[in-house]
Amino acid sequence: MLTKKQKTANWILVIILLIASLFFLFPVIWMLANSFKGDAAITADMNTIKAFIPPALSGNFFDNYITILTDTKFLKYMVNTLFYAAILIVLGIIVNGLAGYALAKIKFPFRERWVLIILLLQIVPMETILTIHFLMIAKVGLLNTVIGYILPMIVNPFNIFLFRQVFISLPDDVYEAAQLDFCGPLKYFFTMVLPMSKTVVATVSVFTFLNVWNDYLWPSLVFTSSDLLTAQIGLNSITSNDNTTMGQTLAVITLITIPVIIIYSLFSKQIVEGVTSTGSKEG
Amino acid sequence: MMKKKKSNTIMGMAFFGPALVLLTIFLFIPMILTLVFSFTDYFALSPNLTHFVGFENYGKLFKDELFLQSFFNTVKFVLIILPCQGLGALGLALLINKVTHCKKYFKVAFFVPVVMSLAVVSTLWMQIYSPEGILNTILGNLGINAQPFIHSASQALPSIALMSVWQGVGYQMIIFLGGLQAINPALYEAAEMDHASSWQKFKDITLPELKPLCVFVFITVTIGAFRMIVQPMVMTGGGPSHSTYTMVYNIYETGTVNWEIGIASTMAIVFAIFVMILTVIQSILTRDKEDKHVNKKAKNG
Repeated sequence: MLTKKQKTANWILVIILLIASLFFLFPVIWMLANSFKGDAAITADMNTIKAFIPPALSGNFFDNYITILTDTKFLKYMVNTLFYAAILIVLGIIVNGLAGYALAKIKFPFRERWVLIILLLQIVPMETILTIHFLMIAKVGLLNTVIGYILPMIVNPFNIFLFRQVFISLPDDVYEAAQLDFCGPLKYFFTMVLPMSKTVVATVSVFTFLNVWNDYLWPSLVFTSSDLLTAQIGLNSITSNDNTTMGQTLAVITLITIPVIIIYSLFSKQIVEGVTSTGSKEG
Repeated sequence: MMKKKKSNTIMGMAFFGPALVLLTIFLFIPMILTLVFSFTDYFALSPNLTHFVGFENYGKLFKDELFLQSFFNTVKFVLIILPCQGLGALGLALLINKVTHCKKYFKVAFFVPVVMSLAVVSTLWMQIYSPEGILNTILGNLGINAQPFIHSASQALPSIALMSVWQGVGYQMIIFLGGLQAINPALYEAAEMDHASSWQKFKDITLPELKPLCVFVFITVTIGAFRMIVQPMVMTGGGPSHSTYTMVYNIYETGTVNWEIGIASTMAIVFAIFVMILTVIQSILTRDKEDKHVNKKAKNG
């Protein structure tokens, strides 16, 4: 039970944190409020508290957003990115999932050594080999193609290891029973193993999506044609255009964040578990 | 029995094969190539003139002023980001763990910038930091002169570093909150019986229990700061006068803009060595702790 003194202290702490959180979030509040304004209004409001309040609802409330979605290719860039993410999620689950299963359940030569190698690969920073990736993709003429962008991103040692850790605890007798039913190993993997491991499949999908959606360096190297750009690279080409107003810039960065917010609110439990488990697993 | 073994080998390779092919092409070969190229003067626009130069690149690198500047800039980023983000996250987690109301709101509020991408945060803060931007307006109202922020060689790096702390602190806060919740409440109850003060409880229970997590968080924040590139790329292009030019930015430009693959590979190897040393330190520090735990348990049991 809290004493009266502790209760007062608690409320003071709540109020301090509330004020701190507002200060902390001021850039985001400013972004949202001003993404609905024209540049004249943004400048005029700057000096008052109105800078943090959206304008009154009127006919041109969504003007910045409409301009971005109709006059620029931004909608196309978002669709592109969703498409790349979908391909990479499917291919990533198949390739990394199969590998994780092999490392967990199939006794093939040098298995333990491969597990160790996969574990060690996780400490190699990707920035180290970025130049070589770029060189390789350029040499085989795949720059500015979807395949050139996707190929180096499919395999992921971290995801292989994650799959292995989950598959290792699957019961063995289910596999033996399935074999009696003349269920081939590949069919068994897709119809039994993956459905039994929905959580890890969801986790890997969510993290793949966030990675593809937010990635900047690799797509900025591969894509030069404006038709294939991802949303993050498109964002740069739109905001660096002199005709784009400040309000429109704020509207683009709000738009680009919306899908991520949806993903986070749908999968917050998995994501927070993922975040905290990386901490406790290695800590 | 033999047959089963053989079929396991085939099946294992069939399942592991696709990943192995991709790992070979996109991880093993690039790693070996980076190491090999780091000893050559490979220039991608005239690959036929490539020579093996031994350790010449490594020697050159440590006399190259731009590389040294990018290295020290990276160190400066780490030195600002590490204490601010590490301690900030710990402080936030301790406070939020204590309050009885609005806990969920606080967790979400401080996590919001984590959700935004590096490019989005950089674009947003370019507006915030602009000479006539909202931050200078607020400062003006408080009677402080307008600051140049990312437009001056002396302020650009700290400005980007603080923005990076703002974006990242919520992530480590969530990790610390997870750690705080995992501490056995019986420890605190026992301390209360002994009339321990809040400070004593923090010093003797919370901090030791969180220590492995602190090591993990501090090293991952350090590695993250070491890998800084997107923010300066979007906001300043590495400037003004290379004041925000980082190691990875240097690798990126040398390799993919100037096509000097040889020297870029040398930089990449130096960079990778630093990151791997940090990772090894982390695993030694955290493993040490676990061993002690095990020993203690073994003795008590």
